[in-house]
Amino acid sequence: MKNETFDVLIIGSGHAGGMAAKILTEKGIRCLLLNAGPIVDVARNAQKKPAYELPYRGFRPPGRVEHVSQADEFDANVWVDEQEVPYTFDAAKPYNWVRVRLFGGRSLFWSRQSFRLSDYEFKGKSHDGFGEDWPISHADLAPYYSRVEKIFQVAGAMDGPEQMPNGNFVLDDDAWSQSMQRFAAAGKPFNISVCKQRRALGRDGLASSVNLLLPDAEKTGKLTSLANAVVRSLTVDKDTGLPDGCFFVDRLSRREMHVKARVVVLAAGTLESTRLLLNSKLGNSSGLVGHYLMDQVYGPGVTCSVSEARNGKATKDLMGGGAIVPRFRNIGTKSDKFLRGYALNVTSSIGPIAPRNFALYGAELQRRLEEYHGSALYMTMMGEVLGRYENHVRINKEKEDAWGIPVLHIDTRYTDNEYNMANDAMEVGCAVAEAAGFEVLSKNKMPNPPGYSIHEVGTCRMGDDPKRSVLNKWCQSHDHKNLFVVDGASFTSAGWQNPTMTILALSMRASEYLAGEMSKQNV
Amino acid sequence: MLRRDFVRAVVALGMTPRSLLAQQTANPAPPPPAPVPWTLGLNPKTPLPHTEALDGIAESELRFFTPGQMASLKRLCDVLLPPIGNKPGALQAGTPLFLDFLVGSSPETRGKMYTGGLDWLDAEAQKRYRTSFATLNGDQADAVLKPWLRTWMSDHPPSEAYADFINIAHQDIRTATVNSRAWSDVPSTVAQQSTAVGLYWYPIEPDLLGESSELERNPARLVAAAKSSHPTPAYGR
Repeated sequence: MKNETFDVLIIGSGHAGGMAAKILTEKGIRCLLLNAGPIVDVARNAQKKPAYELPYRGFRPPGRVEHVSQADEFDANVWVDEQEVPYTFDAAKPYNWVRVRLFGGRSLFWSRQSFRLSDYEFKGKSHDGFGEDWPISHADLAPYYSRVEKIFQVAGAMDGPEQMPNGNFVLDDDAWSQSMQRFAAAGKPFNISVCKQRRALGRDGLASSVNLLLPDAEKTGKLTSLANAVVRSLTVDKDTGLPDGCFFVDRLSRREMHVKARVVVLAAGTLESTRLLLNSKLGNSSGLVGHYLMDQVYGPGVTCSVSEARNGKATKDLMGGGAIVPRFRNIGTKSDKFLRGYALNVTSSIGPIAPRNFALYGAELQRRLEEYHGSALYMTMMGEVLGRYENHVRINKEKEDAWGIPVLHIDTRYTDNEYNMANDAMEVGCAVAEAAGFEVLSKNKMPNPPGYSIHEVGTCRMGDDPKRSVLNKWCQSHDHKNLFVVDGASFTSAGWQNPTMTILALSMRASEYLAGEMSKQNV
Repeated sequence: MLRRDFVRAVVALGMTPRSLLAQQTANPAPPPPAPVPWTLGLNPKTPLPHTEALDGIAESELRFFTPGQMASLKRLCDVLLPPIGNKPGALQAGTPLFLDFLVGSSPETRGKMYTGGLDWLDAEAQKRYRTSFATLNGDQADAVLKPWLRTWMSDHPPSEAYADFINIAHQDIRTATVNSRAWSDVPSTVAQQSTAVGLYWYPIEPDLLGESSELERNPARLVAAAKSSHPTPAYGR
């Protein structure tokens, strides 16, 4: 086995790498999968504790994960430590790069919202003239979405409008609560469709690469996996100029290693795959690797209260349940303030309401918390960020991570399009709340820093023209036929949707194409 | 040579080749460390000593705020979250000294916001009432604080000067108090916040180099050990 040349080297074990491993090994292809971090074992690595037993009483430990807004003291050790793997940005353009290097990557921790992109995203340029169309349409990806939805047990209803295509769902036929019915009725004049949430149920409470994808690959006997393998750069065959493996460093011992493979599949997560390409100086004849970084606007929204549910009157008939309001702007009509659009997550809650929703303190605040308990209804925005050349990442040659690998400099910011969209989301949210008779308690129009949504996509965009894109429609490098990037880096536009289902479907489609090409000896 | 010495010599010669051969074919076994080889005594039956979390048992020293700032912080804690019903207030939960530790361990911007905010509270009290914030009565403290209260959504506290400090400190004081052992020891009513209880993740296969530099920055923490799942053995004395 020593110095064996594998058929395919897969770098990354999250949703994208797990799907590639499953598809390729099931076709009889021998794969080596590398992951930068260790295996996580909840029985060994975690323990239930009250906050007062922790050194910081549950507060995020200072300094280690400053840009992971989602972190607290309980889970601080599962995120990438920003001092161990730093990245840089100008102070005026902050970026939240939220990373997990455990085996399974971010597939271990995600909100599981599961949407397809529609042709309003795949063919966005054809609708409004901005950016580029993807080289594929929803029809091309639909069969793969359908198979992914089955594997991930996506719950939903067949209630989506054209801009939110229906799928292969575990049907959700729960009745709407009265508060949600009132929200839906109040939203009609705003052309708002109120649809059931779409969420991956997974199996046994988890919807991850480690329980839904990698076990299938391991069953074939064709998968070899290494943990704690921090890839330094790809290697290139001197004769052919094609990638033929990688150098990596063992995370624990700092031992420098290398492996060989006929094909390289990058699945390290959008920005890590891109960092690897840039550090390896590969696949960049277009000059576009690192450009067109996108994500989604999170943060703007409205918190309101349903008066009938106050003073202990909240019932399950009145409160509870969630909805997705798919994008409704720039579908039938055209906004003069921004291109594209946003979705709203709507949640009716029978639980407690946060103190920050009242400008009170002490006993007066406690009385109000009791009065309003069980009456909250939340609206939060997920808005499309436009793909712009100037929003990019590059290698910072002045700084290295704990393994001596040059780090990424992230240079991106939102523009008027995103800010206007965010303002619209807050105004529409308030207007619908008012029309429904809900009391608005707090509102916000300021987007969270870029990256917060953990939906970073782009930087190796796909397209038909090698001069205007990095990858072709099969997630294959225009420059090197044996190099594929199957994570979110291939996205040509971001859409408002959680990208996970699309990443999975693209990885499945690319892997089947790769297997076919390998069997025909084209790769 | 006496007969018994001769017999000993013959026996010794007879044994020598075997022991020499053993040394040639395998590494010699190390001499047994005495009295018990290093760590071999620990085993699954070893009882785990039970320790407590330090919260509510030990006190820390004032390290970050000045005594004047701490006096203002104590008054602020008592005004924003006094004891309500059976629940302890922020003072009873040891929140001021905990915040001295938390803010003092945090990046500079957080420290500046707190020290600037506490100094400003004192200056306001001096300007309006010619006394320190720490000695204001309830009505006076309300008059200073209430104009700065805002409602806000998660991750977006107010950014205007003073309102940022008042609202963020309010949230920090509540979180530190609600997550204290003192608060946890008293059952919460339906609408009362409960102490956060969650799955705590230990460092997972920490990189040794990273761990040692981490230890240099932050000395080892005191974490309570779990109660032993097996009964304490009774040894005969």
